[in-house]
Amino acid sequence: MTQKLEVDGFYLPPEFSGEISGYDTETFQRGDVEVRLRTPRITRAVVGELCDYLRKNQETYLRSIPLGHIIEVLDRASRRWMDSGYIYRKLALQSIPVMTGFSTETVAASIDVEMESSLSEDMWRALRSEIGNPLYLDGFQHDPELDGYRRAFGPDLMVSFFSENIPALPHLLFMRAALVKSACLGKVASGEPTFAPMYLKTIAEIDPDLARCMAVLYWRGGEVGVEDAAFEQADAVIFFGGIQAVNSLIERIPRRIRVLIHGHKLGFGVIGKEMLTADRVDQLAAATAYDLSMFDQQACLAPHVYYVETGGQISVAAFAEKVAEETAILHTAMPRGEISTADSAAITQLRGKYEMRELRGDAVAVHAPPSGTDWTVVYEKNPGIFRPSPLNRFLRVVGVDDVLQVLPIVKAIGPFLQNAAVAIGDEREQEFMAKLAEYGVARITAPGNMPVPSMMWHHDGISPLAALLRWCDIEKKEGAKGLRIQVVK
Amino acid sequence: MSDLPETVREIDRQITAYIERGVDSRDEDTFGELALAVFRLQYNGISLYRRYCRKRGIAPDSIDSWQQIPAVPTDVFKAAEFCLVPPHVARTFLTSGTSAGEEKGRVAYDPGGLGLMDATIRVAGKAFLFPDESRPTMLILAPSPEMAPHMVMVYGMNRLIENFGAPDSRFLIGPQGFQPEQLVFALEEATAQNRPVAICGGSFGFVNFFDYCEKRDYRFDLPPCSRCLDAGGFKGRSREVGRNEFIDMCVRYLGIPDDYSVNLLGMTETASQFYDDSLRNSMGAIIADRKKISPPWTRTLVVDPETLEPLPLGETGLLRHCDLGNRGHIFALQTDDLGVAVDGGFEVIGPAGPGEARGCSLTIDEMTEAMSS
Repeated sequence: MTQKLEVDGFYLPPEFSGEISGYDTETFQRGDVEVRLRTPRITRAVVGELCDYLRKNQETYLRSIPLGHIIEVLDRASRRWMDSGYIYRKLALQSIPVMTGFSTETVAASIDVEMESSLSEDMWRALRSEIGNPLYLDGFQHDPELDGYRRAFGPDLMVSFFSENIPALPHLLFMRAALVKSACLGKVASGEPTFAPMYLKTIAEIDPDLARCMAVLYWRGGEVGVEDAAFEQADAVIFFGGIQAVNSLIERIPRRIRVLIHGHKLGFGVIGKEMLTADRVDQLAAATAYDLSMFDQQACLAPHVYYVETGGQISVAAFAEKVAEETAILHTAMPRGEISTADSAAITQLRGKYEMRELRGDAVAVHAPPSGTDWTVVYEKNPGIFRPSPLNRFLRVVGVDDVLQVLPIVKAIGPFLQNAAVAIGDEREQEFMAKLAEYGVARITAPGNMPVPSMMWHHDGISPLAALLRWCDIEKKEGAKGLRIQVVK
Repeated sequence: MSDLPETVREIDRQITAYIERGVDSRDEDTFGELALAVFRLQYNGISLYRRYCRKRGIAPDSIDSWQQIPAVPTDVFKAAEFCLVPPHVARTFLTSGTSAGEEKGRVAYDPGGLGLMDATIRVAGKAFLFPDESRPTMLILAPSPEMAPHMVMVYGMNRLIENFGAPDSRFLIGPQGFQPEQLVFALEEATAQNRPVAICGGSFGFVNFFDYCEKRDYRFDLPPCSRCLDAGGFKGRSREVGRNEFIDMCVRYLGIPDDYSVNLLGMTETASQFYDDSLRNSMGAIIADRKKISPPWTRTLVVDPETLEPLPLGETGLLRHCDLGNRGHIFALQTDDLGVAVDGGFEVIGPAGPGEARGCSLTIDEMTEAMSS
């Protein structure tokens, strides 16, 4: 018996009076759940009116409420989503798997890790970390370094282009907007348009006035009229997406707009021989399997490769086998999602190549379930160059004679580096991390932490909150020096 | 070089005879017997393949139908060589590789295997491209065999010229690359003399020529019985053109009627080729939807992309080609082409290729593109 869900692929504040000429409903089915997705027919004019509306509410409400209140609302929203009985969470756990193919367990885990790192204390810390005194956002505050006063303003209106479906990620963009007191129009990706509207309904439950500063729409990428209407009124644009999409979009964004681009990036892990001891190996393998499996390896944080040093108590091949065992266990608890034919084919072909090398007697081992492409762990010796994974839980565990051999390999892909798990366990670790930082890595952590960055993380190496701000400083207004200025008439 | 072993020569004689029965022959039993005999040879002769089969618990004595013969993914030719009689290799063809820096697959042929390929080209070419024996001038949008000895498409086109082309047939890509003026000249000459031509080559080459024509406002109205054959599709190209759009372009720029535009699925890894049946149907006054035909010495299965088990008719999956012409390497090949089995043949839906990024992690293609630009 098919279960039918009516889900909105948009969020418009209920009082918004713009003329929507009608709604389209599209049906998506996977297994025995059917999602009937409703989206409004939007025009350039409607988007213009919506931006007006959001800006007006930003001016009359969001701009003047204290930061502490905003953080409290966002904190309560995160906590509602962490509650397994919360109605929208339950709905999202049904709709997102239909839209994306992710398993329900993966979606639940994603919501948990996203929301657990989005609580009050995380927000205060992120603001303190990036701008020192968060109250700069509420009014002029004394800055002892300046010996004066300063105040920070976020954009009046931000437009955020969400990436395809890391489940529950869009909430972060609305949080960042609200923290800098910016209204936000989110453009959802066609692959998963259901979460963001639900999240805004949560905000509306807690503070309807704040929700009036937020909206979610879908339009096809490159729909010039609609995008131009949004760009006409936006002060900032945040974009998650691939190189081609970024290039075509960026040409049309007016110069005055602040643009933050989060392009596609990748992660990797490094484990030193000191770490490969009998008492540590199980934990390390479980950590590696978790890094691989979370978000089905779709996040820019996910590892494509784990480089592991030979010469430890446990061989690299044995470690790879352990990782495979742990990955199989995780697949039971949090199954890999359904993937496209193309993705399956890519895994089959690559496995085939490795299997032949294994059968030929090369130092290669392919670990995979007997049927299906749900996960793959390949052990091989250092090929000397970085080879990206076809993703969807496909990890290479590469044996290196010395972890320092990894440096030139990852240096060659500097522009794409995002996240590195490092566990070397001796004096080389410092030097290693210093080099990674030079090459462009934006986050270094321990195995097992790759998918769960804190809110303080410099996402893609930028300060995601501070980068949105404009400042006003009151400088040398008092004191002897200032008084000495003579104005000649 | 010594002769091929007698067992190999004997099976080649049988396969050749089977191929020469033509594309309408239906003899399931003989196909099955020959397939199992080929499998036995390959199992015994190619140690890597034998280990691959053993890992799956399959040996010649443990199976009784060709469907059970283990298929290998086509990309394995990039990792290893599979050759039944290595000392006898006469030609090695290389796969094109779809992205920069990717390693090329190598598929080796012994003289007997080449002979089988020649037979498939002859019999299938006659059935699907030249049923009328019109001997047109063949204009090939590809480099000559001297320039590109490792391209299987060039080898095949050369065999088509030998069998079906007029003496002035030629390859149009020279050391300076493709010179569209030469093709324009040849088409004008053919039109003036009212002699049909057959234009053959890579799909993308056609589209480039059509772009050239569009810019200069060239339109040809080629003599009756002119035809075109395109192969290769648009995998890894900057632009994709749908099948119907391509056929429309052939009508618009060349004046070739839609039935006379034939698409061919050929792969370096398979000796045989899979043609559209549009021209054959048209000449035989048969009204049917265009589809790809697996000639009688081949079988094409559509398999589930996850389990790799065969799917029922009409369901979309990955194409698996089984080909007696592959006697010299591997009989059953698992491709990453997406397709669907239809009554009497199959349709290619496109290369499955690398998937679209769902998340924010980099895909292989994107990285290759960015690193090479």
